[in-house]
Amino acid sequence: MDFEVVTPHTQSELLGAIAANQGKNFRIGAGYTDLINQFKLRPERDLTVINIAQIREDTFRNISKNDRCIELGALVTASDLLGNDTVRKEFPVLCEAASSVASMQIRNTATIGGNICNASPSADMSGALVALQARCRILNVKGERREEPLVSFIRGPRQTSLEKHEILERIIIPQNTSAVIKSGFEKIGARKSMEISIVFLAYHFQLSESGIIEKAGIACGAVAPVIPFADRACAYIVGKRLNELKDDEKEAFAQKVMEYAAPISDIRASAWYRNEVLYNISKALFE
Amino acid sequence: MNNWVEITMKLNGKTVSCRVKPSSLLIDLLRDEFKLKGAKPGCLEGECGACAVIIDGNAINSCMYLAINAEGKEVTTIEGLGSDDNLLDAVQEKMLSHGAVQCGFCSTGVAMSIKAYSEKMKALGIKPTREEIKKTLEGHLCRCTGYIKIIDAAEAVFEEGSEM
Repeated sequence: MDFEVVTPHTQSELLGAIAANQGKNFRIGAGYTDLINQFKLRPERDLTVINIAQIREDTFRNISKNDRCIELGALVTASDLLGNDTVRKEFPVLCEAASSVASMQIRNTATIGGNICNASPSADMSGALVALQARCRILNVKGERREEPLVSFIRGPRQTSLEKHEILERIIIPQNTSAVIKSGFEKIGARKSMEISIVFLAYHFQLSESGIIEKAGIACGAVAPVIPFADRACAYIVGKRLNELKDDEKEAFAQKVMEYAAPISDIRASAWYRNEVLYNISKALFE
Repeated sequence: MNNWVEITMKLNGKTVSCRVKPSSLLIDLLRDEFKLKGAKPGCLEGECGACAVIIDGNAINSCMYLAINAEGKEVTTIEGLGSDDNLLDAVQEKMLSHGAVQCGFCSTGVAMSIKAYSEKMKALGIKPTREEIKKTLEGHLCRCTGYIKIIDAAEAVFEEGSEM
């Protein structure tokens, strides 16, 4: 494992480093919990790593909040999310997803930006953020910014819409409009710890005082090349009373989630198993 | 390779400087340069936790951490636990008295995770549940103890908490 490393400490140094390396083969390194393994498995020649782990600026590091949204810097770690009161109380789906990531040592270094830009269909935190309808704020070498919904930012396994002259700066999550929520992360794996999802279902429902679903966000993981947002399932469930769903309604909801699943068979599970599990956990959400 | 980088960190309480190859990993720096052999190369892919050390209060896997990113940080290895008065830290004492150490390969990593977690919980004034302790240790593989004794030892560290 051998590569050159450039270590910017500020945003302007970072943009300068990206601009200076446009003609080279470079990767961005933040938490390294996946990157080191990628380098070992598939060594690349003449590789430069732009090491963003030492950037201090708040825009990449902090968790901030205003009336409309909560924002996460790309370098926020899974442990940072778990230690944040707002995330814990208002976005349990994200907290549960962060908690399900690998192990404490990895949660202490793995970043939200890395989880997103790695673009794995089984990325737990990305799944929670898709369910929360998060957007990505992307910065380019000229200092210009653009925003894109996370659901379209992830294009396929290890593919995002990020251009070579861009970097993910921040993730923006819309605030809840209701204080009553049902939100969580169902992860299916072969064991409890250190597990990569075989299937996950991330859900975030906002309810009226009387228990009617007003807004819904559902994302499913490891069942398609991307992490789909199940908008037809969301549309179906909105307006219904959460605790009074009939069996045929639960089944219809699960069927609508299934419309987004096109799983493959791989080392972790068969396509058949993934379909069965996704149907069952979708139906069981309301039981 | 030529452009080695000078880094300065606080290692087990002492400020140290050294030159490192930019792509080298913290585990190799600790073991080969500083001869601190406590952090063990187990799986070298982040699964087993035998290489865990504490950086700025957080347990991390030193096999997946670039040495250059230790710049300006406080790094504690198993060799940095204990003091002149007490050769062993309370975590090590509890691991011994509960039979949590058998072959010993995982023990240093486990001790560092328990240490980091117990310091954090003490600062917050929280006594974690057994389930929370298990969750904390999920990144450590042990093929001897069956984990029960390790979890017992960690729980005992928190029992002591009020006296410390």
